[in-house]
Amino acid sequence: MTATLAPPSAPVTPAPRKARRRTKTGKAGPVTYSLLALFALVSVFPLYWTVVAGSHTNAEIAATPPPFLPNATLFENIDAALEQAPLGLAILNSVIVSGAITVGTVLFCTLAGFAFAKLRFRGNGLLLSLVVGTMMVPTQLAVIPLFMMIAELQWVDQLQAVVLPTLVSAFGVFFMRQYLVSALPDELLEAGRVDGASTHRIFFSIVLPVARPAMAVLAMLTFLTAWNEFFWPIIALTAANPTVQVAIANLGSGYVPQRAVIMAGTLLGTLPVLVVFGVLGKQIVGGIMAGAVKG
Amino acid sequence: MASISFAGATRVYDRAHAPAVDRLDLDVADGEFLVLVGPSGCGKSTSLRMLAGLEEVDEGAIRIGDRDVTDLPPKDRDIAMVFQNYALYPHMTVAENMGFALRLAKVSKAEITRRVTEAATVLDLAAHLDRRPKALSGGQRQRVAMGRAIVRSPQVFLMDEPLSNLDAKLRVQTRTQIAALQRRLGTTTVYVTHDQVEAMTMGDRVAVLRDGVLQQCAPPGELYDRPANAFVAGFIGSPAMNLVTGDAVDGGVRVGTTVLPVPRAQLDRAAGGTGRATVGFRPESLVVGAAGDGLPVAVTLVEQLGSDAYVHGTCGDDAVVLRTASREAPAVGDTVWVAPRADALHVFDPTTGTRVA
Repeated sequence: MTATLAPPSAPVTPAPRKARRRTKTGKAGPVTYSLLALFALVSVFPLYWTVVAGSHTNAEIAATPPPFLPNATLFENIDAALEQAPLGLAILNSVIVSGAITVGTVLFCTLAGFAFAKLRFRGNGLLLSLVVGTMMVPTQLAVIPLFMMIAELQWVDQLQAVVLPTLVSAFGVFFMRQYLVSALPDELLEAGRVDGASTHRIFFSIVLPVARPAMAVLAMLTFLTAWNEFFWPIIALTAANPTVQVAIANLGSGYVPQRAVIMAGTLLGTLPVLVVFGVLGKQIVGGIMAGAVKG
Repeated sequence: MASISFAGATRVYDRAHAPAVDRLDLDVADGEFLVLVGPSGCGKSTSLRMLAGLEEVDEGAIRIGDRDVTDLPPKDRDIAMVFQNYALYPHMTVAENMGFALRLAKVSKAEITRRVTEAATVLDLAAHLDRRPKALSGGQRQRVAMGRAIVRSPQVFLMDEPLSNLDAKLRVQTRTQIAALQRRLGTTTVYVTHDQVEAMTMGDRVAVLRDGVLQQCAPPGELYDRPANAFVAGFIGSPAMNLVTGDAVDGGVRVGTTVLPVPRAQLDRAAGGTGRATVGFRPESLVVGAAGDGLPVAVTLVEQLGSDAYVHGTCGDDAVVLRTASREAPAVGDTVWVAPRADALHVFDPTTGTRVA
């Protein structure tokens, strides 16, 4: 507002604004740090509580005040959890399932996203709307026909029953398309074509490296979703050959649920996710940094 | 090395509008440096992209050497292109960027290294071969883009405003380097620019386009001395040629109270049925004379360039620019009387703009 009212000797006005902005973005004050710390605590607390609750009995957890420190009972509870459900097998299954889904989704979504973003073909816009439109169809609607197909193929209680239906996602296609539309200049593809590259070669040599930051984000989101997926796996799989979420659902089930054992099992099931975040989180930060420097 | 020929090449983006490139007929000789120039939207980049195979040819044909390349994909045309924003692969080092096309062509590793090193030496990039484009300055990136074209030893170089992202000083420097490099390599080159100084200084011949139509293709000197129409006359030269339109009278064209002498035959062809003619004269061909002699120009602005000065003014309704020696420049508000040298007059048909003499 003041800028529009200012006299024509405009150069005076932007200067102080610029200076103010620099101090704002350059250094975070105590308020920022306090807020960040609070946010971090709130985020980490559930994980910590899992450890604490996993190392006490039902009665101890229910006491007032509740315990605030973990102890060695945790390992007994983990042993109990491992006895009650095939957690080792479940984790292995979940790693296979989530890994396969992640690799498939990232690859196929990047391919499709690239095609929608940069290739000229008839019906591009219509097809994209159809793909995006499928996001509005609830999963529950597809469960019965899907199960019938799986049963027909005799895949019930087999991992491919969980992997195959989720190898590509509409969200992923849309996400990759949006990223590539802005991050991948047309000239880069044209340079590749003039240099003699086929479309496949352009995809693997030029598009993939450019798409890497977005692929890392999509990979992490997909892995998390696949790891936490419960509804379809519990229908398609049995307690004998479960994924982690299905196995945990079967934990500590008795007349009184054994919360400590459930928590210990949950902790085991969460560890691989933490590892994946540790590996891919760096990639994501790297991607953000690269963009910042370039812009 | 090869010649290039556009034969009636046409590109239509949208049936509802005029073609982006309209029946372009243009021949480029083997080893020639041809510059395509024109205002933005004139179809110069589209023409280049049609030659590259990045844009479809809706009608007509394009030949490189003896081959009809109209329907060939870019990779089969044996061309190399330098893009305006360089289009370097961000994840590859300078050496990888330059060698990418050779790698795709399955050239041996030793040969790639040899050719990349050679090009890097020529372009003064040898010290940067292991760097990524991000770590290079604008001028270095531009040279990498050049290097990527050179290492392939293609039949044709295509350059799409390769200097427009450089600062003024570097642009002048690089301009001469590219021209020298092209003469040394002798590779047929088509170069697109909107900068007429680049066009005039670099090209063996310059093709001026407007609204998708070729206006004139000639060596720079001829373009300047004998523009084919009023558009070329106004586009080439800085400041632009003065163009004034007046009534055809006995002995010439009357502008205000003065009659600019134009031979009878030319006058008849220019005036046609309208009885009017457009006369053009360059700022440097105006001679300041005594008061009352020639065209009166009311001075509105004086641009001092050091040795010369450009004097902007009005003569009746027409804007007129003249060049004088810096110390002889009049002051703003003065009226100077000028007359163009008789041999430096250009006469155009006022309706079509076509040159008649």
